[in-house]
Amino acid sequence: MKPYYNNFFGEFGGRYVAEVLRPSLDELEKAYVDAINDKSFLEEYRSLCSDFIGRPTPLLYAENSTKALGGARIYIKMEGLANTGAHKINNAIGQGLLAKRMGKTRIIAETGAGQHGVATASVCAKLGFKCRVYMGEVDIKRQHPNVFWMELFGAEVAPVKSGTATLKDAVNEALRDWAWSFQDTHYLLGSALGPSPYPDMVREFQSVIGKETQEQVKELGLDVAAMVACVGGGSNSIGFFYPFLGKDKPDLFGVEAGGLSSQAGDHATRMDGIGKPGIVQGYKSIFLSDDDGQVIPTHSVSAGLDYAGIGPQLAHLGKTGRIRFEKAMDSEVLEAVRFFAENEGIIFALESAHAGAQAIKLAKKYSRDKAIIVNMSGRGDKDLFILARELDKDNWFSFLKKEINENAK
Amino acid sequence: MQSKLMTHMIAGYPDRETSLAVARAFIEGGSSFLEIQFPFSDGTADGPFIQEACDKALKAGFSVNMGFKLVSEIAALSDVPVFIMTYANIIFAAGVKDFLSRCKESGASGIIIPDLPPDSDEKLYAEGKALGLHVVPVIAPSITDTRLKEVFNQCGEYIYASLRKGITGQYTEIGEENLEFLKKAAGLGAKVLAGFGISTAEQVATLAPHVHASIIGTAFIKEIKKCIDNGKKDDIYIILYNKIKALLKA
Repeated sequence: MKPYYNNFFGEFGGRYVAEVLRPSLDELEKAYVDAINDKSFLEEYRSLCSDFIGRPTPLLYAENSTKALGGARIYIKMEGLANTGAHKINNAIGQGLLAKRMGKTRIIAETGAGQHGVATASVCAKLGFKCRVYMGEVDIKRQHPNVFWMELFGAEVAPVKSGTATLKDAVNEALRDWAWSFQDTHYLLGSALGPSPYPDMVREFQSVIGKETQEQVKELGLDVAAMVACVGGGSNSIGFFYPFLGKDKPDLFGVEAGGLSSQAGDHATRMDGIGKPGIVQGYKSIFLSDDDGQVIPTHSVSAGLDYAGIGPQLAHLGKTGRIRFEKAMDSEVLEAVRFFAENEGIIFALESAHAGAQAIKLAKKYSRDKAIIVNMSGRGDKDLFILARELDKDNWFSFLKKEINENAK
Repeated sequence: MQSKLMTHMIAGYPDRETSLAVARAFIEGGSSFLEIQFPFSDGTADGPFIQEACDKALKAGFSVNMGFKLVSEIAALSDVPVFIMTYANIIFAAGVKDFLSRCKESGASGIIIPDLPPDSDEKLYAEGKALGLHVVPVIAPSITDTRLKEVFNQCGEYIYASLRKGITGQYTEIGEENLEFLKKAAGLGAKVLAGFGISTAEQVATLAPHVHASIIGTAFIKEIKKCIDNGKKDDIYIILYNKIKALLKA
């Protein structure tokens, strides 16, 4: 049997959970290892990847951007073209199939930007599960379109008011639900973090991104110098980087949310020396916390990167130096959305635009015969309300006013 | 059989002074053990009332330093043993050994950290033993027999048994199932402290023959909250004092 399951990555990872959740995680680990070694499970996963998700996603040569930037050739892995608009569905469908195998009838999930929530709700509609998605009140407000989609798929969106009312609080609430409901419920965690076996399992389901990229690179005969992905919890980046982790090349860049400034509370950069080792939400990793160990609030223009912790494998790879962590500020992110929209006709999600912003900075650092691959983990449709407010405020507000005046009667 | 109580409070809720009054009410009302929770921003075993109280304590300026000062003042009030309860990140941030030394210095008898279970405990059990502190594991009815033995082998005198799955706060029906679980735990020779959803004298009396003490937390937090909401903070002492008396009466 393949050693898929790693409890720890260097010093990070583990299963630091209250005893009540232990049997469920033991059960999940067993079911996961069994499934991932079962051909029929993998076949079903692959078939849904192609027919339901729309894989493989293309690897686009960003020709205009390359010319405009004048450096290495920019390629974009178009994960945002996956059904429901982001990479999150790769993991949701994998865990959904696993939950079915385990005989569960209900699924719970947390969501930040709503992409994981929408993916989970869609999978639950497809595979026939009851579904409840926990979402912080702050995120419900700023990502309302995704709330609408989740409800359309038949999911119940449960607002979370506690703590900072963002992603980490949604994770807490899902864990609290699971402590009651584990007998019939699977917790479909959306990022490569949490207690084991989640970091391994989520990475495994997301590694489809990296494996496809590897094949596409080979087909096109590219000389890849760098790969770039945004990092919130880290599921798109670890899946994208996975096949390349054991090699020295290409350079791997994880891009965190620089937010408004480097002041505490203004950002979510855990890996540039501010974050501290800690044990939160069942795993050991690097967290933004104060000297007492209290987790401190974070900020990002993108709800999906607005999280105080980072997946344990990424924390480890940051420490060993295999992955370099950079940050993109909110303003650079908005600029990157505009740049790729104007030059390539594609709209990056605000999360993924962090990677786009880094690629813009990197292009000139590599020669023209090299390639840089950016993972566009999601597309930006969900960000309409934020982007329109930031980039075209007056027109947008007058449209909204008109819409209400004419249709709200 | 004489009922015993372990009464739970949150350090710094609603503020330092009132925390002291809460502790005095517990001790003078006849509590046998005090459980003092240090608030953590992300306590995943906390029910809604405890979460809210922890949030308020943190906003009101709770710090670990303040927590230990409070514990030493409370421990000096009587011989009632004090147990500190908190989460992994609070003890990990300070360093397990340093944190435990401070527990000892402050006069606490033991510590309860639900998310550092035996074998994922960052040496909590070994270091606690070396310092002569009780490290109390939290177990739930879903635990397997093998795991229960594993846990018992690591721990000292006490086991904290949550009477059902889930989080703190909601009412727990006491019946065959959880009594069977308590019997199993006590059968190993542990002093069983049992809680989660205990709020009435009837529950305490039903549990008494099966446990070393019943743990009550949320029920007190609700009373404290009611006093604060009604602008009657000064009543907290007498209301909690009377509540303990009533809980021990049945």
